[in-house]
Amino acid sequence: MRWWSFRAFILCVALSVCVPLFAADSADSVAVRRWDRRVNWKYDGWERLKPKNVKVQYAGGMGFLSFGAGWEYGKRNQWNSDFFIGLLPKKFSDKLHFTFTVKQTYTPWSMRLCDWLSYEPLTCGLYFTTINGEDFWQREPGKYPNRYYNFSSKVRTSVFLGQSVTFYPERYPWMRGIGLFYEIGTNELYIVSKATNSTVRMRDILRFSFGLKMQIFKPHE
Amino acid sequence: MKIVLGRSGWKCLWVLLLSFVAGCDMIEYHPYDLDIEGRTGINKENMAEIKASTEDCEEISFAVISDTQRWYDETEDAVADLNRRGEVDFVLHTGDLSDFGAKLEFELQRDILEKLAVPYVCLLGNHDCVATGKQVFNKIFGDDNFVFIAGNVQFVCVNTNALEFDYSQAVPDLSFIRDCLENTPDGVTKTVVAMHAGPYSEQFNNNIADVFEFYIRQFPDLQFCIYGHGHQLAADDFFNDGVMYYQCPCAKKRTYLCFTINNDGYEYEVVEF
Repeated sequence: MRWWSFRAFILCVALSVCVPLFAADSADSVAVRRWDRRVNWKYDGWERLKPKNVKVQYAGGMGFLSFGAGWEYGKRNQWNSDFFIGLLPKKFSDKLHFTFTVKQTYTPWSMRLCDWLSYEPLTCGLYFTTINGEDFWQREPGKYPNRYYNFSSKVRTSVFLGQSVTFYPERYPWMRGIGLFYEIGTNELYIVSKATNSTVRMRDILRFSFGLKMQIFKPHE
Repeated sequence: MKIVLGRSGWKCLWVLLLSFVAGCDMIEYHPYDLDIEGRTGINKENMAEIKASTEDCEEISFAVISDTQRWYDETEDAVADLNRRGEVDFVLHTGDLSDFGAKLEFELQRDILEKLAVPYVCLLGNHDCVATGKQVFNKIFGDDNFVFIAGNVQFVCVNTNALEFDYSQAVPDLSFIRDCLENTPDGVTKTVVAMHAGPYSEQFNNNIADVFEFYIRQFPDLQFCIYGHGHQLAADDFFNDGVMYYQCPCAKKRTYLCFTINNDGYEYEVVEF
């Protein structure tokens, strides 16, 4: 990893950590929704820095499996920032590659169906993924004339829509919830390909991914 | 009501989910992974088919398409037009099937070219070398350098994208060319040389352009050279030695070239579609 990409990487991590610190916590002003029981837990001080959930995601252009930690914030915790490390095994590539992903998810609604289950009809967001390996560059190597390829083979920007269900197991006191989610998304290279060609079908560019989210760290009562 | 799914329950659910989606082509681990769906090793199979279908032919004809990257609509139209004309024995693609080197691009282009009524072979373009593109190309199509025979004509296809390889391998590979020279099969009386980037383009190793020319002129009755990369129609005698270099336009120009080689020489036609 070159020094500037490493710097960008550290910056992204720092940003994703700091955002929840500065997020407004005016939970008092949240309009009452009988079917949406999500609340901001109002962690204190440095408690906010602790990841509020851990995730495992399958596929989605960020490796075979990705493991991440996330922070929730917003009046109803509707915002979620994640940071993932993914594995692309040799079986699916030339050698083992690692991916690094910064992901932002917005979940506007959560419908509490019963004590132990809620349904989130829509999640949406975007993520940036980089991959290690000398075959990938963020900026074109100097050997090329200026703007020769004019894109980065290292960093992908993906957008997605998805849904999830969340279980609230009372058996595990340290866990607030377990979510199962799926997403359907695509990246900017595919969008450009689809936008300029009518013969490229939506199913050619759309990709499913699946994941598990464990909400941890119950706030102090 | 308490949740009843135990650890094994979750495991079952997860395994069920994975097995449900594992075979689906809408699952992708990375745009640059090598988890390729569909036909692979195409050049080798198609070269054998070309050789068999043109055996003992005194006249062969073939079409050249090039630089079809991210012009899927135009490539579809080119294939439809080639099938409609139905005059050629095979189609030669002189490289740049992909724009970003992404696996999906090669798969989409292959799926379009598979609709051709005649066999086709593809050369490696410089865009095809981006990221893991070359490895995808090698899997789906074949080697960087290859040679095949149609009728009594030998087609020597050479990787000339030197800028992509940083001296890590010989580009163009003169030992491959010498090897073809020494092992020219009996019955071959004519030669066509195909490449992606022509001499004196920024991709070519121009330091040895005249050496390259020296070697390819040793081939039996070199007819002409074909290449792509420049996206424009061009016909040049780069070395002022009578060897013509024809540049096939990109797919966006909605043009391909048709060549016919027989005992009287060769003819070519610029076909707009």
